[in-house]
Amino acid sequence: MGDLTQQLVEQIQHAHATKTALNIQAGNTKASLGRHTSGQVIDVSQHTGVLSYNPTELVITARAGTKIEHLNDLLAQTQQRLPFEPPAFAGEATIGGTVAANQSGPSRPWFGSVKDSLLGLGLINGYGQAMQFGGQVMKNVAGFDVTRLQCGAMGGLGLITQVSIKLLPAFKLTQTLTFEMTAQAALDTMQHWSNLSLPITGMCHFQNKGQSLLYVRLQGGISGVEDAQVFLGGESLLPAKADAFWQALNQGTLMQRQDHQTLWCWGGPSDAPFDRVPNTCMINWAGAQRWVLEDTSNTRSQGLEKSLCQYQGGNRLGEVNGTVSVPQKALQQRIKHAFDPHSILNAGRVYSWM
Amino acid sequence: MQALQSSLSDHALPISSAPIRTSTATAKNVALLIHELQQLLPASSVILSTESQRPFECDGLAVYQQLPLITVIPETVDHVQAILRLCHLYQVPLVPRGAGTGLCAGAMPHAEGVLLVMTKLNKILHINANAATATVQPGVRNLALTEAVQDLGLYYAPDPSSQIACTIGGNVAENSGGVHCLKYGLTVNNVLQVKLITIEGQLITLGGEGLDEPGMDLLSLFIGSEGLLGVVVEVKVKLLPRAPRVQVLMAAYDSVTKAGDAVAALIGQGIIPAGLEMMDHLAISAAEDFVKVGYPTEAQALLICELDGTDAEVEEQLAVVSECFKEHGATSIRIAKNATEAQALWQGRKAAFPAVGRISPDYYCMDGTIPRGKVGYVLTRIQELALSYGLRVANVFHAGDGNLHPLILFDASIDGQLEQAELLGGDILTLCVDVGGTITGEHGVGLEKMPQMPYQFADAELAQFRRLKEAFDSECLLNPGKGIPTLKYCQEYRSLQHG
Ligand SMILES: Cc1cc2nc3c(=O)[nH]c(=O)nc-3n(C[C@H](O)[C@H](O)[C@H](O)COP(=O)(O)OP(=O)(O)OC[C@H]3O[C@@H](n4cnc5c(N)ncnc54)[C@H](O)[C@@H]3O)c2cc1C
Repeated sequence: MGDLTQQLVEQIQHAHATKTALNIQAGNTKASLGRHTSGQVIDVSQHTGVLSYNPTELVITARAGTKIEHLNDLLAQTQQRLPFEPPAFAGEATIGGTVAANQSGPSRPWFGSVKDSLLGLGLINGYGQAMQFGGQVMKNVAGFDVTRLQCGAMGGLGLITQVSIKLLPAFKLTQTLTFEMTAQAALDTMQHWSNLSLPITGMCHFQNKGQSLLYVRLQGGISGVEDAQVFLGGESLLPAKADAFWQALNQGTLMQRQDHQTLWCWGGPSDAPFDRVPNTCMINWAGAQRWVLEDTSNTRSQGLEKSLCQYQGGNRLGEVNGTVSVPQKALQQRIKHAFDPHSILNAGRVYSWM
Repeated sequence: MQALQSSLSDHALPISSAPIRTSTATAKNVALLIHELQQLLPASSVILSTESQRPFECDGLAVYQQLPLITVIPETVDHVQAILRLCHLYQVPLVPRGAGTGLCAGAMPHAEGVLLVMTKLNKILHINANAATATVQPGVRNLALTEAVQDLGLYYAPDPSSQIACTIGGNVAENSGGVHCLKYGLTVNNVLQVKLITIEGQLITLGGEGLDEPGMDLLSLFIGSEGLLGVVVEVKVKLLPRAPRVQVLMAAYDSVTKAGDAVAALIGQGIIPAGLEMMDHLAISAAEDFVKVGYPTEAQALLICELDGTDAEVEEQLAVVSECFKEHGATSIRIAKNATEAQALWQGRKAAFPAVGRISPDYYCMDGTIPRGKVGYVLTRIQELALSYGLRVANVFHAGDGNLHPLILFDASIDGQLEQAELLGGDILTLCVDVGGTITGEHGVGLEKMPQMPYQFADAELAQFRRLKEAFDSECLLNPGKGIPTLKYCQEYRSLQHG
């Protein structure tokens, strides 16, 4: 546990002066995401520690290298939780990397993504200047929202040194129900249930080993969950089994990608019909996220459509994210330049041109 | 809206030194611009006369007034695109405006520029009941959206008290909140996609069809950017299903500290009400005098709490909330028995601003946010500060998320009181920063809070903001002089601090 801010600042200042490409790394659990890039590793994994946690404020501030698992354990002691349910990746994922990679779990449609809980952060830009944006209070509109801008930037706009996150009370009860049905039937069902004000925190349809199941997770107050369970019916899953399922889903291991395979992720409107994304084998986020596992040799010839991302596997030197419009591309490049004029921080991680 | 209303337009304010970029547009350029605008738009959409522009000279913070050179009221997205292109071509500054209910002079016109009034782009383009989304033009009023989806059992969650008038475009520009933000979030948490026009006239779509996009979160950056980065021409929002049951209750306290502690304790216990508002003694009496809904006028503080969910959930929460309020010394608790009673309890809160307007010739509304646990301390300190200025302050605010709205009462017809009110306001904002909060929770910086920006942010951070602004608008033509102080302004500020 320690504060390495000064050291990190100096490393980036040096890289800025010498125009050396850096590769920001902490738990190194997200190397398989984004494009492969080269660069000298700048290690954030030892920059750890909870800086403040006052349960009555429902806010925690921690250094970027602090592990998600550590935060989950700490928060569980006071019956609180990280609202966006980030994957812990065998205990190695850190909060800084989670924010940079914008990783939120199965409860995303109901409890929001990282940005919805992120209140503030510390950032070292490509000049090597340490800065603070946002804060620890619930509402803050002073200045541009540099804090939320970092979600998904994969470190390309700066090295995140610390984050403040809004918390939520832990659930009193969790129940997982399963329903045997086709993918299209599941899409219709998820749509219907989403609009009923039920305590749903996960809806996923998975086709595996000849089975085609809709998983529905209910979480909340005891009476709310019990009532919803009676209302929905279905088979209830044992807690240990259910837990293993949602964890595997969250960590991306449910589909067990082999080396010769590419895992594609589609993001779009939850009411898009099933055939909108051919060969879907898993539907998450009540239909808003769909996954396709294919042999890498089965390459998609066209340029990537905007809503499709080559999540894992395949060629990681080409583009892995969908194309953006020409004006938006130019805008993103100017923003990158505004933070990192020599493009030394995680350059090319999201797009080859950034 | 009466905030600072009767104040003189030429009043010298501490802020008046704020730099407004003097336009480099030549008289010839301006003449060409006007000519082209008249070719492009219907005659009624290009307003040049002083008399007709008068209604646009300020927003809800009426002490800051300025007539624009030209007021333009586009009717289509193509119009907006063409207007921006022309302003860019002729280097004329442009200020976007929605309904003009903003409280930070963000929509105050530029003396040498175009005021772009967006209220005629007021169509609801598409409602998708299945996916619970709506796509609207920026001039749609906040309440009109919720009314349009009511029959589907849906609503749009961010509900500023100005919702009857304010526009979705203005809400996006300010990242507005409302009494239900505590549970359902601000504008940034409820918008899925924004289409904007850059100063160069390019259309850019931020956010996608799905929930998350790869790469930096430009949508979040844009929300709350106060018209400095682009003009919103279309917004896709998330709609929420109406909760089956809503329950309102009210608790009275004999001290603001006890009420503040009750709020912190309740949240700490894991209850997030749909809304949790607080009023202090002055606000309670003013509201009761005005709407007569049976508020206990002897109370020093009142909490109004709204719970929502299924019957079972609400019952479960109601028991915990009542217990917690009692434990923290509530002198009385009233649980609304039906919708009419619930409405009455809210009515006083909703009428609090005009009610305060009845007991003082002028008032000035602040918007700092602080950690919840500091509410008691900060309210007490505000009263001490007010006393030292010889002014009164009424408080009615979003206690659940620590967003204060101190209303400074003053009389602008008394020499020097406006300046005193401004100085007290400044002290309150720096107090908020000192306890770990911010100078604005939902109203924005605009022109008004420029003096406090260098107090909250260090030079490197302000410089980063400026570089971001330049990435969108390299010539600083969009809403110049607002939101982000210039380097010169910051240098002057620092030399005053150290000098
Ligand atoms: C009585 C009263 C109560 C209020 N209560 C609340 C409250 O509870 N919560 C809250 O958050 N606010 C509140 N406000 C403040 C105000 O209503 C909000 O800031 C609102 O979002 C402003 O919307 P508007 O359409 O009036 O925008 P305007 O005042 O016209 O403009 C506000 C800012 O947005 C920019 N802008 C407007 N339209 C566009 C566009 N299309 N593209 C780009 N930029 C644009 C303007 O340049 C300006 O900087 C209140 C105001 C009043 C008068």
